[in-house]
Amino acid sequence: MRGDLKTIKRASLRSHGVQPEPAVLFAVLALPFVGAALTPLVYRVLGERTAYFAAAVATACLALVLTQYGTHGTVSVEWIPQLGVNLVLYMDGLAFLVALLASGVGVLVFTYSGGYMHGEPGQDKYYTTLLVFMGAMLGVALAADLVALFVFWELTSVSSFLLIGHYQREASSIYASRKSMLITVAGGLFMLVGFLFLHDVTGSFALFDSGASQGIITNAEMVREELSAQGLLLPVVALVALGAATKSAQVPFHIWLPNAMEAPTPVSAFLHSATMVKAGVYLVGRFRPLFVPEEVYIAEVWTPLLVGLGLLTMTVAAMLAVSATDIKELLAYSTASHLGLIVAGFGFAVSYGGEAGAFHILNHASFKAALFLVAGIVAHEAGTRDIGSLSGLRDDLPITAAIATVACLSMAGIPPFNGFFSKELLFEAAWETGAHFGGLWYLVPAVAVFGSVFTFLYSIKFLSLFYGDRPDGLGEVHSPPLAMVAPAAVLGLAVVVISLVPNLAIEYVAGLAYEGVAPGDAHSFTVPWPIPTEVTPYALMSLVTIVLGAALFPFYDRLHGAIGRARRFPYTSPNAYYDGGLAALERASGFVPAYVQTRMFRTYAASTLLAVCALALGGYLVAGTPIPPFGGLDSLTLLGVVGGIPLLVILLVALFGAAAVGIADSHVAGVLTLSILGFMVAIFYVLASAPDLALTQLVIETLVLLIFLLVLDKLPTWYGDLEVREAIPDAIVAGVVGVTVTLTVLVTTSAQPSQNIASFFVENAPIPGEHDPVLIDAGGGGNIVNVILVDFRAFDTLGEITVVAMAALAVLTLVGMRNRGEDV
Amino acid sequence: MTDLVVAPLLVALFTAVATLPLRSARRVQQAVSVAGGVVYLVAVAALVRAVKADGDGYLVYELSNWDAPFGITLVADDLSVLMLGLTAVVSLAALVFSVRGIPAVGQRLSYHPLYHLMVVGVTGSFLTGDIFNLFVWFEVMLMSSYVLVVFYSGPDETRAALHYAFLNLLGSAVMLLSIGGLYATTGTLNMADMAEYLAAAPASQTTPVLGLSAMLFAVFALKAGIVPFQFWVPDAYRAAPAPVAAMLAGVVKKVGIYAIVRLYFTVFAVATLPPGPFGDNATFLAFFGPVFLLMAIGSIVVGGLGAVGREDLDGLLAYSSIGQVGFIVLPLAVAASAVPAAGTAIPGDGIVTLGITAALVYSVNHGLAKSLLFFVSGALSRTLGTVRFDALGGVSERNPALAGSFFIGALALIGIPPLSGFFGKFLVFDVGARAGSWVVLGVALLGAILTIAYFTLAWARGFWGPPSDAVAGAHVDRSFVLVAAVLAVAIVVLGVGFGPLYDLSYEAARSATETQGYVDAVLGGSQ
Repeated sequence: MRGDLKTIKRASLRSHGVQPEPAVLFAVLALPFVGAALTPLVYRVLGERTAYFAAAVATACLALVLTQYGTHGTVSVEWIPQLGVNLVLYMDGLAFLVALLASGVGVLVFTYSGGYMHGEPGQDKYYTTLLVFMGAMLGVALAADLVALFVFWELTSVSSFLLIGHYQREASSIYASRKSMLITVAGGLFMLVGFLFLHDVTGSFALFDSGASQGIITNAEMVREELSAQGLLLPVVALVALGAATKSAQVPFHIWLPNAMEAPTPVSAFLHSATMVKAGVYLVGRFRPLFVPEEVYIAEVWTPLLVGLGLLTMTVAAMLAVSATDIKELLAYSTASHLGLIVAGFGFAVSYGGEAGAFHILNHASFKAALFLVAGIVAHEAGTRDIGSLSGLRDDLPITAAIATVACLSMAGIPPFNGFFSKELLFEAAWETGAHFGGLWYLVPAVAVFGSVFTFLYSIKFLSLFYGDRPDGLGEVHSPPLAMVAPAAVLGLAVVVISLVPNLAIEYVAGLAYEGVAPGDAHSFTVPWPIPTEVTPYALMSLVTIVLGAALFPFYDRLHGAIGRARRFPYTSPNAYYDGGLAALERASGFVPAYVQTRMFRTYAASTLLAVCALALGGYLVAGTPIPPFGGLDSLTLLGVVGGIPLLVILLVALFGAAAVGIADSHVAGVLTLSILGFMVAIFYVLASAPDLALTQLVIETLVLLIFLLVLDKLPTWYGDLEVREAIPDAIVAGVVGVTVTLTVLVTTSAQPSQNIASFFVENAPIPGEHDPVLIDAGGGGNIVNVILVDFRAFDTLGEITVVAMAALAVLTLVGMRNRGEDV
Repeated sequence: MTDLVVAPLLVALFTAVATLPLRSARRVQQAVSVAGGVVYLVAVAALVRAVKADGDGYLVYELSNWDAPFGITLVADDLSVLMLGLTAVVSLAALVFSVRGIPAVGQRLSYHPLYHLMVVGVTGSFLTGDIFNLFVWFEVMLMSSYVLVVFYSGPDETRAALHYAFLNLLGSAVMLLSIGGLYATTGTLNMADMAEYLAAAPASQTTPVLGLSAMLFAVFALKAGIVPFQFWVPDAYRAAPAPVAAMLAGVVKKVGIYAIVRLYFTVFAVATLPPGPFGDNATFLAFFGPVFLLMAIGSIVVGGLGAVGREDLDGLLAYSSIGQVGFIVLPLAVAASAVPAAGTAIPGDGIVTLGITAALVYSVNHGLAKSLLFFVSGALSRTLGTVRFDALGGVSERNPALAGSFFIGALALIGIPPLSGFFGKFLVFDVGARAGSWVVLGVALLGAILTIAYFTLAWARGFWGPPSDAVAGAHVDRSFVLVAAVLAVAIVVLGVGFGPLYDLSYEAARSATETQGYVDAVLGGSQ
């Protein structure tokens, strides 16, 4: 299967790698954050030239990253030993590639910003956030501890949120940034759950062996078996894939990426093309050896899920790019499409897939970042991003046109440009997988070709902006400043160099990255340069793509229109679900004040009381609390209450009072009947030989009655008519509360605990027969209640006195604040 | 050494009394009040040190020297000092904010004494080892907060305070009924004594206790604002002056959470259910697990949903508090369901301890972040006279420091690393994953997404967009920005250096589940 020419076997770097230098790796990580912290100060001194300060920071990072070329291994410092979380950094070919992109493209983008951001608002904030982002991205590339990785992962999302919202007065920027935050941060949380399952199964957060911790990926086979055994393989793969898919704008989560183009163009080039969106595919690549066993054609769960996701995204996003009307929108969809290609590549279990993914990360970063910078130059100098009104720019922007030409041909997948080779590897993987299983599996290569045709189409369309006739409507186009052209030219040059010597790029960069995504000992690979010389199925696939693309290009406008119309088909747009979902959420939010927080005390009280009763009754029921028989009034005599006729009369009158309150038709009647109830309780206390309680109750009843009568004047006289159907629910609530309270009193009064602190009070409250001049060990009073209040539990009394004092303060406040003047 | 236990309470009480007669000397009153906050912080710090230095980790203070269980006992352990520490920090921040944040006339009238009395109530609740004494401190806390909620005395404040007071008075009645019932069935009010009795008594003797403790739980849920006891929350938080809202959401709510952890995991966890739907030998917590879970789900949904559509920042923050407290109860639900059979010690590395730890970490983060957000809202409201979103906009342009603090607070509640809030979320998710509960994970994810939705909305409408005329012309007092910024820094520091907060929370969780240690420490003297 594997052509001899194409493969050279090479000893794995894993066994021969040099350990990375810990200080350097930590410095790479720390530098951008330190730079970000200094930026506000630097900005005061340098002003707009802060761009070059940031570029210098990025250059330093780049240089440090380059010194670690070829190293392999982990370095680690403790972070939260309690949770087994360490700051583990890992360097291998894959980490190197992504760190290289983060710092290298960083240098170019900061330089470019020096020209692009001229005269823009909020530059201190801009450079600070961009540096934080770069640090976070380097963190994602280097972190080899699930928690540390997640930390940097979310930091990239947050910095992306702030950068998309850079033009913070614009509604469209705000919409875009919120969308990206909701989708990427939410996706990240799902991924975190996946990570936690992994941790739960393995007991480790470390991806690779480091110190005492066992690496999850190092022990891939064991972890895979354990996950399968616990039925967690699908959930973990799905959750991690969800995190990657939201970040890397995979269908249907791609919708945030076109909106993200609201960000300044350097941000689009950096975050939303070369680096941040690569975090998702990087993660997929990183986890590939965990879920893809060696020597298989299909990895359980992993291959169907990711190849499906990747090819779907590659195709759908490519079609959407054809329907784009704005050059940045076109590039955004194109980015999603190419990320789909990489995801699909990593999804394949055959080695070509991993090769395609690893190589395409490099190639895509080179041509797409170049194109974004080109788009920024066009927008900046021509004053428009509308595809329809741009054409024939080559005379105005010759260098830019040259860069665009190289990059577009690479993006289209035309040999011998670098984009061709990685796409060819994907075709190879698709074909091998399809041919091995046969049947419907042939759809896989077919879809890959189908999607690539659209890639070809929009690439040539972008290219055509620079050729053809210059429309009359296009105004004067200025020459771009050097700071903007140079970075784009560097990237264009990178495309040319990789295209000229792809096998060197593979041997020294992409091939090493491939080793990071391949299970077991990996071998490097080569590609046939400048064009395939053998007739192979995949070479034919490339040919078909180019021929079909070229044949269809004359009908581009009709395709553009047709896809545009198809997008308007109802229920197919994820955007509609996003917007509709948010609108529905806000509508649903309206239910809360309408049905829950009604501001009607009646509802509040009824719900609260019913919930209390449900809890209490539920508790009694579950515990099987026996309901003691009611021993009649005589049982009260056991408690020292005078029973007999007097008690019966008192209780009956109280009952009458309670019932009368319910049917009273005026305030006065209500208050008076209520006090009947209160006074009867006072008499009950008398019968129970508690004169002090009775006195208290009498005083309170009298005061309540008086206060009520005083304020009755201020109350509305009308009670309102009570409808029967309103009264019934109230009666039921009251009934349930009554039952609960009665039941509670019954079960508690019949309980006979084997201990009781009351006996201590009885013994210790009085003055003992013999005592010292100062009473220490006894209450020393004649009345137990008094002794409890002022001695045994004087602390309670302290609190209650405070409450009374506060009641007085309350009156003072209410009166004082109501009458306050403008004195504030 | 044990005298230190009562120190924070006395400091707050003395400050309250001292500020009362100083009405005519405004500056002096403010100075005394803030100094009281500082001394309170120092006293709490000393207490924390003392508890950590103590071999068993329990400091017991017997009031009037009456031995437990007969007198009232104050107990400082890892759990109570963690909550006190949170109180001290948030309270001091709120005091500094109050100096410029509360109208002068209000400060002179009664604000400072009431504020410190609220702190007295909170402190007493965290320290007491006596269940009736807990009722008393609840009353102190509530009485002061009634007045502080109605403080501005307008129609909205009056209605909010009426609802708040009436619902909590219902709660007080229920609390009294259940405490009375508990006393009648167990013969004691001392928590340690009650735990010892429940552990030893045969199940047949303690059957009413489950229903009584369930009823009592309703009261704590009411204080914590857990659905379906959340009705008072949105209006009361909106009505209260900003520093009071910060205290209510940041600290007073946590009293309910503390009481749940202390009473249910330390005391009622040792009681055995008769054989029934939860199997043989299950503890009371087997009953509470599903109850907690349902209420947590309700809180997360109602709070999150309610917050999304609000038209003002205070309203959004208030609903958010309902949702966030759901996140605190969620791991407690898992922990409750995981408590092993009665009589088995709860392992330190098990899901029970982890669940409580998660709830405590989340509580601390919520206390700091939510009070920070209320301070920002208060700063805006004091400066602009409104926090309606349609009158805000562009605050980040005009006042980046204030906006930046808000951003950090919001990110902390969303759970963005490396802020303290991330670890709260992280532990909640971890608890769900370890329990293998898709329900818990699903609810947590839903709640987190709702949190992103409403905080991005608040940010977009209040802090981005073109500055409104009001915002453009506003000058925010520096003390407000300072308070917000200090809390923001604290949130970052506690996240980046999460170890110590984890240790404190973990030890607190251990303390909450080691019933025997608690019982020995409290009753040791009397045996």
